[in-house]
Amino acid sequence: MTLDWKNQIRRLTDQGASYADVRYYPKEEEDFLLMWNGNLLAFNRSETSGFGVRVLADGAWGFAASSSLNDIQATFDRALENARAAAGRLKRPIRLADKEAVKGCFDSPCQTDPFEIPLEDKLALMKELDGFIDQPGVQQRRVMISTSKRTVHYYDSEGAEIEKRIIDIFPSIQVAAMDADGVQQERKYLPPRLGPSRGWETMDRDHWQGEAERIVREMNQLLTAPACPKDRLSVILLPDMMYLQVHETIGHPLELDRILGYELSYAGGSFVRLEDFGKLQYGSKKLNARADATLINSPGSFGYDDDGVPAQNRMLIDQGILVGALTSRQMVTEANDKAGRQLFDSSGGACRACDFNRVPLERMTNINIDPGEDGSLEDIIKGTEKGLLLSGDKSWSIGSNREQFHFATDIGWLIEDGEQKHVLKNCSYSGMTLEFYRSLSAVGDESTWQVQYVDNCGKGVPGQVMQLGHGVPVCRFDHVKVGD
Amino acid sequence: MRPEAVIEKLRELREHALKQGARVQIRWSSEDSRMVRYANSAVSLNSHEAITRLEVMAIGDHQQASASLTADEEDLEAMRATVDKAIRMLPFASKLSYQPSLPNIQKTSISEASYDPAVEQLTSREVVDFVNQATQGLESDDILLSGNFSSGSAVTAAISTATPEVVYWRASDIGITLVLASEKRKWEINAEQFVYKKNDLDARALHDRLSWLSKLYQTQEETRIPEGPCKVVMGPAAVAEYLGYLGYLGYQGGMMKRGFSMFRETDVGKRVMSSLFTLTEDPSLKETFAMPVDFYGRTRDRRKIIDQGKLTGFIWDQQSADEFQEEATGHDVNNLSILVQGGTEEVKTIQELAQMPREEDILYVPFMHYMNAVNPSEGQLTAISRFGALLLKKDGSIQLPYNVRFTEKMKELFGDKLQWMSKHTVPYGSSSHYYGREPYAILVPSLTCFDGVKVEISNESFG
Repeated sequence: MTLDWKNQIRRLTDQGASYADVRYYPKEEEDFLLMWNGNLLAFNRSETSGFGVRVLADGAWGFAASSSLNDIQATFDRALENARAAAGRLKRPIRLADKEAVKGCFDSPCQTDPFEIPLEDKLALMKELDGFIDQPGVQQRRVMISTSKRTVHYYDSEGAEIEKRIIDIFPSIQVAAMDADGVQQERKYLPPRLGPSRGWETMDRDHWQGEAERIVREMNQLLTAPACPKDRLSVILLPDMMYLQVHETIGHPLELDRILGYELSYAGGSFVRLEDFGKLQYGSKKLNARADATLINSPGSFGYDDDGVPAQNRMLIDQGILVGALTSRQMVTEANDKAGRQLFDSSGGACRACDFNRVPLERMTNINIDPGEDGSLEDIIKGTEKGLLLSGDKSWSIGSNREQFHFATDIGWLIEDGEQKHVLKNCSYSGMTLEFYRSLSAVGDESTWQVQYVDNCGKGVPGQVMQLGHGVPVCRFDHVKVGD
Repeated sequence: MRPEAVIEKLRELREHALKQGARVQIRWSSEDSRMVRYANSAVSLNSHEAITRLEVMAIGDHQQASASLTADEEDLEAMRATVDKAIRMLPFASKLSYQPSLPNIQKTSISEASYDPAVEQLTSREVVDFVNQATQGLESDDILLSGNFSSGSAVTAAISTATPEVVYWRASDIGITLVLASEKRKWEINAEQFVYKKNDLDARALHDRLSWLSKLYQTQEETRIPEGPCKVVMGPAAVAEYLGYLGYLGYQGGMMKRGFSMFRETDVGKRVMSSLFTLTEDPSLKETFAMPVDFYGRTRDRRKIIDQGKLTGFIWDQQSADEFQEEATGHDVNNLSILVQGGTEEVKTIQELAQMPREEDILYVPFMHYMNAVNPSEGQLTAISRFGALLLKKDGSIQLPYNVRFTEKMKELFGDKLQWMSKHTVPYGSSSHYYGREPYAILVPSLTCFDGVKVEISNESFG
């Protein structure tokens, strides 16, 4: 099989393709378990296999994919034809930034393969988690565990050969009940990455029990809590909300393909322009953000991207100033050409596809905020005159250039004179991205820093759902519009 | 693959399950999809995929388990192995509080009313020529074209061990989104089209809209909309976005029972929205890629779900009906075929509306971006305008508003705030979701007017 892929690639380059690559997924497995109010509504094991071919010919991209291995030659030919047809409407030939042709392997760290856990043990744990949240006051309860295991073989015409074996697990619990006003209040828990690996060993029963008790307690508090006031206040975001703030208003706007207008027909553009790099004050001096694909226990780490570029750790925002972006080989050359100078020295290794039948795009890796020097959560609360402490993303909506946002959270607490007071329900906050980050007034230290995961980041046409991570501390922002 | 070949394969798999004494339902889906993407006035990608998927659900005594496969359409061995996998998983499944139903399909049906083989045969050359026609003369060094021309066909077929009969459905679709955007000023306008027949493609209609908007966006004054209530006329894309959520958080019985609906059981028979609003599910509407027979073999009937503002009842898919002991309503389909009845106003297009005299400023919003549910049980949604909004001033002039955010409750928006709707309806939909080609469209009035819609955030520029 190895030889055949290479021969197929060679066949296309012999016919004039300037570049070709193939991603072959011999087997991708996924288990999805969903228990709702004790009913196992989804108990599914899926298996996927197939391959996708990308070709650069006459300066344009063509792509073809198939789930049939009887179709290999025809699929490669189709990709080349598609590239040639695309070249009929071209403004500038696509060029790829240089890279080293790597031969390598990546295995995500895993002590216990979730697919080797007997089904009865998985279901027994699910029932146990369900039992933890089946408590007085809870009207709706949900336990979800999704596990995936994929092997990807990558070959390209530059001589790269990469094999990746990636295992991930995405569990969550959620509780909900109607409050006195007939409005459903929810509380959920998605665990941060607690250890150095990504397998079944991360499912610590005792940890789940403690968190289940907490969210049930908080949900019951929400049922009788007053509503979030409408005001302009400081907001302190716990990591389970801060991760989404970062995702939507740092990660996405810094995808270079968005900046260059490649996602305008669907996901949108970015308020960031090429001339902003090195200059734009994105946030206060306390803001330091990076794209770190080497954070080994997080789903945004994958060894090598789908351009064959090794994972990297690169600054995006340095003491508030925009210095970097999420980049791929194609986009760095285009950006440099357009800017008329070298903005990016090479690809940042952020080009990934969610599956064999999708084309690689700029995707977030692990978009992190460095821990700061403003102490623990308690320290930050003590230093807050009036504000809200917010936790748990409930809804999110962002402007098409990522320039503004609206978030609702599961729960909030009023902070007054440095003390955490009572619970608030129906909390929301909104604002303009740059104004918001420039109001960053406190960044928690290492004790507050957590790695959260995202298993459902959507982008692209046709749509792609990607997994990634965010390592974030507690952060405080001032003078923020809260309440609807 | 011909319908007969798919049916034959499903029957073979059924036999394989029967030999093991199992009760299973098997669903086949396949797609042949082409995508031509544009960015910065060039074809940024030309792609094709041919994918086959199989899902097998094994059913036992208050138990269910499923296995899925994406693989070669000819690989019967892998498909049999998937059947075996589901059967092997079943004993481990936790007991349900209800007995899941197995489809009992009484008659084989082959539905291809929304299928045009000419769509599958579209060439790259034809696509590029079409887009060239639709955008001729509209691009410049600053105004660049982005977009998608998605075309293809999708097949879904279902069988169960109860009978050898099969429900087979095939549709073709073309979904086009063309965006013109100014690199310098960061404004964006768009035009979209959703058809199932190649002959229904209309490059001129796309050109007319883009050309009209583009002239305005190059010449008229920009403005910031003040925060607060205003009169808004929405285009079909914007209204369709809200109606998608109405389906998800409104009349689905299962969601209602789980507390995620804006309606309650006690709302049945009561007015929940404006008397101007009637929403029907009609499986005869070819433009909606309708399935006339659902996956349980039930022939589907037209049904008014909201009739002049009154909720007539909830719809129940089989799984929800089993769980909550209701009767399934024949809506186990890929997508519902929704029609919102047109109103009484003759005005059909934004070009016509812009010519009409008006007593106050009207904000025209063609598209709502990134809609999400702030509070599902209240039907509270937030989203931001996009793609060619216009401020029609009462003095007859037109200004170009920056994007604005609305956060509204559906019952209020389509209740007291609903003012009028165009008589004319148009299809608005999509070719695919994240997991595969599944064309759908809903028929919505071409223009819908609301009053008192609150601008919550108002941008200070296009970018």
